[in-house]
Amino acid sequence: MYTLDKFKKFVSFLLEYDTSLVLSPINGELWVVKALFVEHYRDEKTTIPYLETMSDFLDFLQQFNGISGNSLKFSHDLHNFDFQLPNLNFPKLVWINIGGLLLLQHRFEGGSPFPKLSTNKPKQDLFELLERPKINMKQLYSHEILLERNFGIQPGLLDALIRRPTARTVLSKQRAQVKTKKIPFFTVCNDSNHNHILASVGLNKKEYGQYGDNSFDKQTIPESIVHQRIANSKGMLSEEIYKCSFEKIHFLPIINNHTDLNLGDCSYLDTCHKMKTCRYLHYFTLNPNSKPKGGSEPEEYSEYTIGDCFSESFREILAPQWINCDIRYLPFSILGKFAAIISDPAWDIHMSLPYGTCKDDELLSLPMSELQDEGIIMLWVTGRSIEIGRRALLKWGYRISDEMIWVKLNQLKRTIVTGRTGHWLNHSKEHLLVGLKGNPIWLNRKIDTDVVVSGTRETSRKPDEFYDIVERLVGVHSRKLEIFGRDHNTRPGWLTIGNQLQGVSLCEPEVKRKYESYIQSTNKSN
Amino acid sequence: MYTYNKFGSRNSSSSNSNSTKSSTLQSVQSNHRIEKSSGKNTTQVELDYCNNYVHSGIPSTKYIRNVSNPVEGYPKLAKLHQLKRQQIKKHALKPYGYRVSTDRIVPTLNKWIEVYGLKFDVIMIGALIENQFILPILNSIPIYKLCSKPGFLFIWSTTQKIQELTKLLNNDNFNKKFRRSEELIFLPIDRNSPYYPGDYGSGDLESLPLFERQQWHCWMCITGTVRRSTDNHLIHCNVDTDLQIETPTSKKNANAVPEAIYRVAENFSNSNRRLHLIPSKLGYDTPIKLRPGWVIMGPDVLINNFDPVTYNEELYSKSMIKYKQTGTGGQASGGYNNVTTQFLVPQTTEIEDLRPKSPTIPAK
Repeated sequence: MYTLDKFKKFVSFLLEYDTSLVLSPINGELWVVKALFVEHYRDEKTTIPYLETMSDFLDFLQQFNGISGNSLKFSHDLHNFDFQLPNLNFPKLVWINIGGLLLLQHRFEGGSPFPKLSTNKPKQDLFELLERPKINMKQLYSHEILLERNFGIQPGLLDALIRRPTARTVLSKQRAQVKTKKIPFFTVCNDSNHNHILASVGLNKKEYGQYGDNSFDKQTIPESIVHQRIANSKGMLSEEIYKCSFEKIHFLPIINNHTDLNLGDCSYLDTCHKMKTCRYLHYFTLNPNSKPKGGSEPEEYSEYTIGDCFSESFREILAPQWINCDIRYLPFSILGKFAAIISDPAWDIHMSLPYGTCKDDELLSLPMSELQDEGIIMLWVTGRSIEIGRRALLKWGYRISDEMIWVKLNQLKRTIVTGRTGHWLNHSKEHLLVGLKGNPIWLNRKIDTDVVVSGTRETSRKPDEFYDIVERLVGVHSRKLEIFGRDHNTRPGWLTIGNQLQGVSLCEPEVKRKYESYIQSTNKSN
Repeated sequence: MYTYNKFGSRNSSSSNSNSTKSSTLQSVQSNHRIEKSSGKNTTQVELDYCNNYVHSGIPSTKYIRNVSNPVEGYPKLAKLHQLKRQQIKKHALKPYGYRVSTDRIVPTLNKWIEVYGLKFDVIMIGALIENQFILPILNSIPIYKLCSKPGFLFIWSTTQKIQELTKLLNNDNFNKKFRRSEELIFLPIDRNSPYYPGDYGSGDLESLPLFERQQWHCWMCITGTVRRSTDNHLIHCNVDTDLQIETPTSKKNANAVPEAIYRVAENFSNSNRRLHLIPSKLGYDTPIKLRPGWVIMGPDVLINNFDPVTYNEELYSKSMIKYKQTGTGGQASGGYNNVTTQFLVPQTTEIEDLRPKSPTIPAK
């Protein structure tokens, strides 16, 4: 009988040589196998004394097969084989059950006889099983295989190359970063615990009622007072919460006597007209009162100047200009040419709005083609007018290059999901068509994204972010026009026209001269 | 001659009406955002996500606070969504797939219509992406015969495809029958999203986009007559919004059309026959998952189990059947009336109580 550790060696020997024992040149000859095995462990002190003769070896093999579940298969049975006789049919090793040997080795190393069922393995998604054949589906896209085999181009490489931003885009982005003044940016604290605790110490305490009468509107308490109260109760707050009130924006739930917490948030939040009786939950915005860091002054110029005007570094931005006029009758030729136009027409969408609307035909027949040789136009559209807007841009000689959206946020920086804001679906965004005329190579493309997220303000007032975006796209010194603008739309570097502006203000000499002569001529004809 | 000073320039101290202007002038880029809100002593700080994007490269959608749960803060609406989801699931037919090569789509649809009399109430087409030349196929889809009346069409595509689709929607096949009613937008959460559409044009400078693109578009078109106020058995309005943002989930859940868009269609139309047509191969990164209640048809569909006869049988067993008279003769003549069968998802009174309703207009 041999001891187990003698078999151990034999198992690792077999596993090492593997099928090469049955292949040429060994061909499973047992005397070669024996010699190899002895040779294999010769370096070790323990030479294999127990395998003196061939009959020992056969005996050894038979016992081995006994414990390994016949992992070795021979051409003849090893029993009753008389190896003394010269015999051509000496048994040969023909097959090794590697799996069986591995199991045996596993047992030698103290493993359990049963394969472990891992219990906490996550269940496999059926879908993952469906996914697998997709590797073979590569053959459907034979061009990739062709590219890989013949040119050594990895699949996806060409795609990555195409998608890679150009040097121009990268440089323009860097320039925009350098030249745009950084506006302090705060994040909102999402820990409801913080908000509730800050609300209870800063807003909803009973004794604060004396600040006004009972129906006092907590929404209008100055933020500094709330911060003061929080500072006074500093001892009651954890350090973490107190610190957080300086760093992040918090929305403190306002608890009034009439508030019913089960109803959830008010759809209108801070724009609610019935704040004093509304039973839905409203919030007080507590901005961080620390002086924001950053806000560094932008640099005046950057080294990358493609697309800039030659006097970029020393030129001053024009003062805001505006003309109160009826756009239908103003001869556009007096205004000159523009690099960018923004227009927010009061589309006639069969709704009663607090301003006069404009007929589609009148809008389509505006002589817009006079205003630009090459450049961009941005046209605000809503609902039904999306299609009219697309038609209008094509008629005016533009091609539609992009469609931007403004994602409207409410006080809590969430999208607007309630309040029947649209006919079939609720509307949480507005569309802005971007038309392109000519081939303006001077545009700084791909600095901003086509999705602008911004809070809502008065009815129909659009976010000011779009001015910044246009300025980054065409440059601050390019001439820019806004059609159908109101007083709050006037802005340095921009000329605003519309019938709701106050008077006229022009500073470009040529525009001013032409406008004056136009006024004189109309007065004369009257 | 410059009249700079007259209207409030740097050194002017002019009249009241001009003082507001002068402040605008001085605050060249930033101050217009920090506004004194009237009646309050507080300074409203508006967050400028665009400015933040220029400086940090973090897309503004990352800061929207109700992406993972759009109805956060509105328990009634959340309950409605949950109830509708249950009701739709309860009555949904089992997921069907039909694998068919692009060129066989139109003949197959014709066969379905002529031999089996199949019609669908909700038809979704897409994803339509660049490098697909399938306009002739879309043009020849027998959409008016395939779609019941009233019926709803959802077309799902990238921004690049809009021009092409505008032409499609203006042709006789579509335009005479379908009104474009809403334009849905889907936003991927960031560049690494499986839904990120890519923002490269078709190569030449002229078609390069001006902005980085993040949007998917989905047109919702309506055919036939539905009224928001009275047809509540057919449609539920204002349940969802026209903007859906990808919820951050694991990548393996990516699908040709995100779940949110399917859900909008299911929540809007209460009809039970839904077809999704994916007219061409989308590549192996975009698997097509079957969805209960939908027949999904296209060359990349993995499971091919659709059979018009079993489909019809299951349809009768799973839906609430309503017969509607659409008289050619009219009631007055008392003549023979056409009867159309509507296959609907029945609604519960709880859903009816919770759903947003049209305001009742007082009688004049």
